[in-house]
Amino acid sequence: MGDNLIVMLQGDLEDGTIEQIERDVTREVARSQARGALIDVSGLSVVDSFVARIISRIVAMIRLLGSDATVVGIQPAVALALVELGVPLKHVATALTAEQGMARLQGRRRERAR
Amino acid sequence: MQVALDGELAFYQQMVDSITDCEVIRLDETGVVRTWHEGAERLYGYTANEIVGGPMSVFYAEDEVRDGRPGFDLRTAAENGHCVSEGWRIRKGGSQFWAAVTLTPIRGAGGTLHGYVRVTRDHTERREQELAMRAIERMLDAITDYEVIRLDADGVIQSWSPGAERLKQYKDDEVIGHHVSMFRPEEDTRSGLPEREMAAAARIGRFEAEGWRLRKDGSRFWASTIVSPINDENGELTGFVSVGRDLSEKRAQEQLVQRQQEEILELSTPVIQVWDKVLVLPIIGTLDSARAARLTEGLLDRIAAEQAEVAILDVSGVPAVDTEVAQHLLKTVEAARLMGAVSVLSGVRPDTAQAIVHLGIDLGSLRSRSNLKEALQLALSIVGATPVAATAVVASGG
Repeated sequence: MGDNLIVMLQGDLEDGTIEQIERDVTREVARSQARGALIDVSGLSVVDSFVARIISRIVAMIRLLGSDATVVGIQPAVALALVELGVPLKHVATALTAEQGMARLQGRRRERAR
Repeated sequence: MQVALDGELAFYQQMVDSITDCEVIRLDETGVVRTWHEGAERLYGYTANEIVGGPMSVFYAEDEVRDGRPGFDLRTAAENGHCVSEGWRIRKGGSQFWAAVTLTPIRGAGGTLHGYVRVTRDHTERREQELAMRAIERMLDAITDYEVIRLDADGVIQSWSPGAERLKQYKDDEVIGHHVSMFRPEEDTRSGLPEREMAAAARIGRFEAEGWRLRKDGSRFWASTIVSPINDENGELTGFVSVGRDLSEKRAQEQLVQRQQEEILELSTPVIQVWDKVLVLPIIGTLDSARAARLTEGLLDRIAAEQAEVAILDVSGVPAVDTEVAQHLLKTVEAARLMGAVSVLSGVRPDTAQAIVHLGIDLGSLRSRSNLKEALQLALSIVGATPVAATAVVASGG
């Protein structure tokens, strides 16, 4: 996806798969020198505070690698639940859809370039 | 021969004397008491010395004597071969008991009347029980808004009531002996729900449920039913009593009220799309938590539907923002942000500003403008439309 990487999270996140995902994502970001990464969570069957913490961890790792990260695909019910639970996603950039997210990644890059 | 007869007479005397739970005495043809025994003494209180030779009218109440009841009973017995009656009889001392009395004439050869045998039993207790039973039956019959029916331990209908007839349209002979599941929709019967409910009632002592019931004509009504187990004195389950009520009206009313409440909430929390990707949520009036939750949900759904990027929360119409409401607003802002939408507060009053800051909440990226017009300008600049157009929108809208 050009300068950007899309990470699709799907199904259930389990302890084993999480490390695998983190490894894959960090390697891929480093290898591709991607400027930004979209993390699409719309395919996850459950988004609770545990999953939210993992998402924020992946975002932090991507940032440390010098990329921008945006989380997309959080549904209304999920957003409500996360707020009620007290989300650990305070400083994570978000967007409704992948297109919107992509536009924002590019927008932020332009701002930085200026 | 004479000796044998005497022996037989003595034997009969013994037999009568040994009867103690009822009275068996002989009256002469005019109703005068001729024999007495312990059973009679127990019932009426007189000893043999006091009563033998006395008239039978002493056992009747005064008004019955005045009406000629003793003579009438004797004549009835003589004419019909016996006279069975129940009524109050008087003991020695004047107290009453409810007596079942049988008078039978004794006739000699050729039909000559020699006298009468009188048998008296005390039915006071039995009468009280019957009266109590009748009172219960009348009470059940008087209940017409509820059905009260008795089932045996297997759920077979044992009794029916006018209330049940009114509710379910069946007559008693159409249901007694049938299983109670005849009133249930097929899906309930198939899943064994009636049996499970009775088992639960037997286990917990009571089972209450609401559900569909069938009338005789096949129509359904929404009923509330309470099933309670009936146990005998040894604690063995002997059956159930089922009390039911038609809740159709109540249910319809509840649904109406709920629908109206939803409509009111809908009306009180409108979300307006003022520009491509820009939503305005004008909040007017006090915010309770039900309304606040509704408002958040409504906004998030619209953000998803319209792919909105900015949500303006106009709080200028909220008379008071207490900590709870402020917290709710900030949760809404955070939830919207998780969906990628930026929120702009507008119309925050001085006291509201104080309340929010005193909450100690990190405002983070929350933006605020003093009025809706400025909030719109900010929103439009965020989505990339020109503020000039925004002015036009406000002008044409206002």
